[in-house]
Amino acid sequence: MISVQQLTKGFDDLRRGWVAALDQVSFDVQPGEIFGLLGPNGAGKTTCLRILSTVLRPSSGTATVSGFDVVKHPTEVRQRIGFMSNNTGIYDRMTAFEMVEYYGRLYGLPDDLLKLRLERLFDTLQMNDFRDTLGAKMSTGMKQKVSIARAIVHDPPVIIFDEPTCGLDVLVARKVLATVQLLKDQGKCIIFSTHIMREVEKLCDRIAIIHKGAILAMGTLTELQEQHQQPDTEELFFDLIARYDQQNQATQSEFRLATS
Amino acid sequence: MNWLNVKLIFLREVRDQLRDRRTLFMIAVLPLLLYPAMGIGMLQMTLLFSEQPRTVVILGEKHLPPPQLLDGDKFVSNWFNNPADADKLKVITDTSVELVGGGLHAAQNLLLLEQARALREHIEQHTAVGNELKQAETKRRQRLTSSADSSDESLAMIQQRIGQLQARQVDIDHELMDLFASSQIQVLIVVPDGLKENIERVNRLIVERDHSHAAGFSYPRPTIVKNRADDKSVVAYARVREVLDAWEGEILRQRLTAAALPEELTKPVGSAPLDLAAEEQISANVWSKLFPALLVIMAVTGAFYPAVDVAAGEKERGTMETLLICPATRTEIVLGKFFTVMCFSMSTALLNLMSIGATGHYMLSVAGGMGRGALAEAGVITLPTAPALTWLLILLIPLSAFFSAMCLALATFARSSKEGQYYLTPLLMVSIGLTVFCLSPAVEIYPVHQASWFYSVMPVVNIALLLKALLLNPGNTGALIFAVPVLATSIGYSLLALWWAIEQFSSESVLFRDGERFEVGLWLKHLLREKEPTPTFTEAGFCFVIILLAQFASMRAFGQSIASTTPDEMGVQMMKLMVIQQLAIIACPALFMALILTASVRQSLRLWLPKWKFVAVASLLPFALHPLSLELMASMQWFFPQLPEGATRLLKAMGDREQSLPLILIALAAAPAICEELAFRGFVLTGFNRNGRTRVAICLSALAFGVMHMVPQQVFNATLLGIVLGLIALRSNSLLPGVIFHFLFNSISVVRERVGFQIADGHAEQLRQSFWHWFVLLEDGGLRYTWLTLVISGFAASACLWWVWQSGRAKPTSKPVNNLFASGLAPAKQHSTFAP
Repeated sequence: MISVQQLTKGFDDLRRGWVAALDQVSFDVQPGEIFGLLGPNGAGKTTCLRILSTVLRPSSGTATVSGFDVVKHPTEVRQRIGFMSNNTGIYDRMTAFEMVEYYGRLYGLPDDLLKLRLERLFDTLQMNDFRDTLGAKMSTGMKQKVSIARAIVHDPPVIIFDEPTCGLDVLVARKVLATVQLLKDQGKCIIFSTHIMREVEKLCDRIAIIHKGAILAMGTLTELQEQHQQPDTEELFFDLIARYDQQNQATQSEFRLATS
Repeated sequence: MNWLNVKLIFLREVRDQLRDRRTLFMIAVLPLLLYPAMGIGMLQMTLLFSEQPRTVVILGEKHLPPPQLLDGDKFVSNWFNNPADADKLKVITDTSVELVGGGLHAAQNLLLLEQARALREHIEQHTAVGNELKQAETKRRQRLTSSADSSDESLAMIQQRIGQLQARQVDIDHELMDLFASSQIQVLIVVPDGLKENIERVNRLIVERDHSHAAGFSYPRPTIVKNRADDKSVVAYARVREVLDAWEGEILRQRLTAAALPEELTKPVGSAPLDLAAEEQISANVWSKLFPALLVIMAVTGAFYPAVDVAAGEKERGTMETLLICPATRTEIVLGKFFTVMCFSMSTALLNLMSIGATGHYMLSVAGGMGRGALAEAGVITLPTAPALTWLLILLIPLSAFFSAMCLALATFARSSKEGQYYLTPLLMVSIGLTVFCLSPAVEIYPVHQASWFYSVMPVVNIALLLKALLLNPGNTGALIFAVPVLATSIGYSLLALWWAIEQFSSESVLFRDGERFEVGLWLKHLLREKEPTPTFTEAGFCFVIILLAQFASMRAFGQSIASTTPDEMGVQMMKLMVIQQLAIIACPALFMALILTASVRQSLRLWLPKWKFVAVASLLPFALHPLSLELMASMQWFFPQLPEGATRLLKAMGDREQSLPLILIALAAAPAICEELAFRGFVLTGFNRNGRTRVAICLSALAFGVMHMVPQQVFNATLLGIVLGLIALRSNSLLPGVIFHFLFNSISVVRERVGFQIADGHAEQLRQSFWHWFVLLEDGGLRYTWLTLVISGFAASACLWWVWQSGRAKPTSKPVNNLFASGLAPAKQHSTFAP
């Protein structure tokens, strides 16, 4: 469903020069699977997912969604994914219903189907209480629900969640996770990025630990735990990152020695 | 392009804007409330203003001759054009004070009279001192001219006395000024004793035709004191002048009647004006000045706030990414937003104009009905006619489109609404500057003077000027002809601006501009140290701007240098300057920028050897293209204004047989071929081509190349040639074919001019009989091409260009450099990739 090969993205930064936000990242995700991207802030998770949603163009490498290349067929890719992140806010001057309906129309749903889907979505996500509330007046939890509804209104085969529980209280976060589980059960192909171990343990079939733009380890949780002989996920995560940083420093100082 | 998406986005944005109280207030409520409120305020102020009468004091009113000038404490109303004006002047004289009797007013009036008398004393002193000064000066003149020592005073003593008198006069004047300023008097009239008797005496002299008493005509005249720096005094004086002129006219009439002389005596010429302006035309004149300026300003402001809200606001509120992940393409999103902004821009402009028109119309009719105030004098202004309003609507569309796209691009660039607001001021300043320029009566869209065709292709100005002409006279066929270029160019500019907006919206660095700190030092270091192999788009654009500015700055120096040479040396001097200009202004910026800013000069300036085929084509193509270009320019001569003097001189110098041909070829063919190619097909084209869009790069570099030529004809010609040159340069990936083409093309022009002159000088018959007459002919003393030549050249040129167009397509020569960043992150790695 999703195939990412050697994906690289660089930025030109005044202070640091050329910075690789994503360095030769490769992974695949199958339908009915939740793929977890686990990494600290600034690891490159958001950049990777932005490339998959065609908002950013990769510097090199390829990524395909349902067989469509994100660079060559961005419109087809966008048609087939539902994307939700911290940066996809909702409009202040639109009601919950208008917002979801607007996106449904943009996805080209015919009127009768759209009506049906809207009713079902508002029922399953329990959004009928605030269906006519303006975005500006909603609570964070309500906004998150509208965002989810907006992302899945067109019933996409691929859904990308970028830290969907960030800033939510436990109750709402639990509901969001339940929704993700529900979508998986419907056979969707899901990428779930987070920095919270508990969520990974609970939801993800496979995970990739990403740090400074590179994937450090990938596999099912048990696979990783066995590989690195570390039953605790959190410890595993810290070990991997610390080891990578050490190596990196070593190579950098070697490089410096070699050049000076 | 999915228009359904555009419509969806448009409808959502419009609804969004209508739900925003600030935008609604700015666009609808403000104009509807502001102008009526301002109108009421103005009306109130004029009412208050007209209540205030001004004080005129007359001393010695007993000596005024008949007919009667005063009526109590007013002037007789007959003497005013508008009898109601009599109330606006309060006249205080000895008699009027007695009439009023006691009370507060009387005391005040007495004080005024007191002040007036003090003023009169000073005036008399001033006159006396003035007389003494005159005498002293006469005396000095006598002393200087005649050596006879008749008086007892020495020259020094006289000089000293003059100095004293002058100082005294200054003192008196100061006192007089202070006194007048501190008094409540706006105008003071001092009537000298015996004025009535003097006038009667003169009248008698005239009746008797007695010429022996010529001296009797000079007698003391009244003095009117006013202060030009005081507005109240100015207004009062204007009215007093009106009264006195009318009154004096009557005295003169009586004098003439008594002397049995015709009244026309005083008006030997007596021209009469004939005003053809109908009432609508007067109104049309007012509207034609007011509406274009207002339309431009309103279209900008109306576009700006919604643009900031739909673009920068979207970033600020964190919904930009939500929008970008919807299936609509960037172009569709921008179009949807663009139509929204345009819709608001147009409605703001129309609402404002309607509100201003209605308020103005209403106020004038109110003022006219009351018959008072300055507004009543403007007459009743009628609203513009239906055809004029239709034109206003039609022209508003391209104007709004242009500003909407501009504002949208600027607003997309901005990180936040606040940053967006900062861009309003410069935009507004430029638009106001342009409209003020259009307000001048001398600036018209008609081709009355040379450069005026230019106005019809200038953005914003063209629309404002056309509207001005059409509001003045909607059926104006002379101006209607200009509607075609005006509308065409305006739509072109709007599309360009829209393209820019779409570019902005597709640029990752613009959309995801984070609050990164900007430091000049860091930026410079980055620019100079971490060089990229070829120039960026911005650097190329900057290079062009530098060339343009340098050329502009050098114009004066070169002009002076040419003006200071003798006519004989003019040609040589001009050739020298041409070479210097090419080297210093065109080649140097490109070379230096390539050296400083790029890692590979060779690559930036395309210093590779081409395939021999390209060299061959580049050597053939000029011969095919020159006849076409020449005849095209000749057939379009009507469109362009006359060549400016400098260009004519240059053309003459080119054909001047006195000049040596090699020198001319160096100056006019070799130097431009090398320098201009380095700059425009080297640095500029490489930079523009960075993001891999070949066609855009060719067109932009050609346009830059054209604009650099300044003279309209050459701009047109050079742009067309620039396209050919750009194509050759990109396909061959070498500068050499372009240089060859450029050199040959210019050489042919020079040679044609010279040969033409030679043949015209007595070889005309020879040409007519030779084989060559099938291809060329003589016309107006120059060599021209026949249809046969044109057809052959047309085919040859098309074939050559087709070959060039096809030949490079499959090859990766024009492959975007951007993709190469993929292979290695550090720019340093790329050299190996690029080496041939």
